[in-house]
Amino acid sequence: MSAVEASPSGANSADAVASLAVDGLQVAFGGNHVLRGVDLQFTPGFNGLIGPNGAGKTTVFNVVSGYVRASEGAVRLHGEDVLKLSRTRRVRAGIGRTFQAPRLILDATVMENTLLGRHNLFRWGHFAELLLLPQQRREETEARQICMDMLERFGLAEAAHEEAGALSLGSQKLVEVARALVASPTVVLLDEPAAGLGAGDVTVLLRGLRQIQAERDLCVIIIEHDLQLVTSLCPKISVLHFGEIISEGSPEHVTSDPVVIGAYLGHGFEVDSGEEPS
Amino acid sequence: MTAAAASPRPLYPPKPPGVRRYREQLTTLGVFVFLAFLPWIPILGWTDIFDSGNNFGRGNLAFVFAYGAAAVGFNLLVGYSGTLGLAVAGLFALGAYGTAVLSAPSDAREALAGYDWPFLLALPVVCIAAAIIGVLVGFPAARLKGFFLAIATLALGELIVTIIRLDDDVWSGLKTNGGTGKQVPQFLIPGLDRILSAYMLSLGALVLMMLAYIVLTNRRLGRTLKAVRDIDIATGPLGISSTYYKLVAFGLSAFAAALAGAMWAQNSSFANPSTFRTRLLVFLLVVLIVGGLGRKWGPLIGAVFFVFLRQKLQDTQKLLFLILGIALILAVLVLPNGIAMLPKQVRDSRWVKDLQRRLESLSDFSP
Repeated sequence: MSAVEASPSGANSADAVASLAVDGLQVAFGGNHVLRGVDLQFTPGFNGLIGPNGAGKTTVFNVVSGYVRASEGAVRLHGEDVLKLSRTRRVRAGIGRTFQAPRLILDATVMENTLLGRHNLFRWGHFAELLLLPQQRREETEARQICMDMLERFGLAEAAHEEAGALSLGSQKLVEVARALVASPTVVLLDEPAAGLGAGDVTVLLRGLRQIQAERDLCVIIIEHDLQLVTSLCPKISVLHFGEIISEGSPEHVTSDPVVIGAYLGHGFEVDSGEEPS
Repeated sequence: MTAAAASPRPLYPPKPPGVRRYREQLTTLGVFVFLAFLPWIPILGWTDIFDSGNNFGRGNLAFVFAYGAAAVGFNLLVGYSGTLGLAVAGLFALGAYGTAVLSAPSDAREALAGYDWPFLLALPVVCIAAAIIGVLVGFPAARLKGFFLAIATLALGELIVTIIRLDDDVWSGLKTNGGTGKQVPQFLIPGLDRILSAYMLSLGALVLMMLAYIVLTNRRLGRTLKAVRDIDIATGPLGISSTYYKLVAFGLSAFAAALAGAMWAQNSSFANPSTFRTRLLVFLLVVLIVGGLGRKWGPLIGAVFFVFLRQKLQDTQKLLFLILGIALILAVLVLPNGIAMLPKQVRDSRWVKDLQRRLESLSDFSP
């Protein structure tokens, strides 16, 4: 329908409605304006969100997932405003996220931690649990199957029945990503998923993310300081600086933008588009 | 994917070989066999272990059951959901007085006047009422944390006890007989004497609570409550409402406390408001922490330990508190996870590991 007015940016504009759209978002903590009118459009695929520390990247995530109240602006998931929904309802609507520091139950197993991600998808309540209904039992086994498949993709199947506290920080972060993904979200916000991960873990993380993204046509939004990772993974990158978007576009465009170089990258960074970091 | 299909990963923890394969099931079976054996103790007359020479043994075991049932609910609230709600003593009192007043005959004298309800109706009504009060209090309390929550819920517990203390001229319908205490009408199971039927009732209540507790903590509710405890703020993106689950924990623990209180009253046959002051709360905290906070068998072990100790030291009331204090300090220092984790702590200790290594090296050299 919009073939006539197709915008020059190509394939992305074919989606009339972005998976997640942030319009004119403003957030202030007291007199401190953290976000000053941020507009962002995220489409299915990998989207990078970069910027110096304190630029407001995590605040964008916090507003979208319901931890911070926006003073102005709108957040639309597939065209529907989500700012009025509670955190739990936003999860049901399809927003998943991880945190910078992994938040796991350290004395529960990796499997139990991952199962928490399925929490909302259980149809039988706790009374069915108490009465030992076979349907509830079946549902639990089914959920375990899904979680085990997901853990397998992130190389954690062997550790599934170990206590989460016994894992390395890198593996704990992978568990968190797996937990966010078993909830079958349509939009996933990953807050520095690769920070603190070893090279092997990063490879596993990227392979898993690429697989899942391709299968489900997922919209993945990544905050990350590892620019090699972001530029190789994300066809579209937005740069946030002092609560404003200063640049947006392809990795090549963003990394050669003088404004971005001045504010964040510094001189000497080049896009290594040929290879994946490994 | 094909490799995964060829060798499916176990969905539940893999079983270790040998007897340890069935350790979990054996423990559960063992506990319930033990509970099933308990009714025979008073019938066979083996009450000496909890006796101090005045034939109190049966009654004391029943106290173990009552404290155990309260501690089970308390463990769900404090150990699993990490919510430091301390209204348990007041709700215990509500259970004791509620059943006593409702089931007492209406035409009796003041100390034993009530509303003529059958005991078996009064008991569930009081327990459910306590659960509702627990949830209602939970609404504001779930927004508080740590000390503030402790203080607020402590005040609620005291409030209930204060209402019970009210004299007849303030609120005549209350019939709690003020601060002088209330006589508890006994519910007699047909064919059993007074002490024995209180014993069986308490045992039944404990088994009921244990069954529900084991089933719930092994499944989704157990892990969800732990999530509320450990990753509180991060439960939002998992779709878990931490407030809702705190309320569930409040309700369950209030139900258990009221049930335990009713059993306590049946067993002691006389209730006085001062029994339910902070001292009872401290007792329950000792039961929980010495037994093992957040551990499955902690409350039961703690209750046995506590009543045993109390009985042995009955003649020296002051010494009791001294020893309880020392036990609490020792538990926190030596066994931070309580007696329930003692076997694992021994298994993982340096000495045992060393011994195992020596035994293995011995068997290597043997022909």
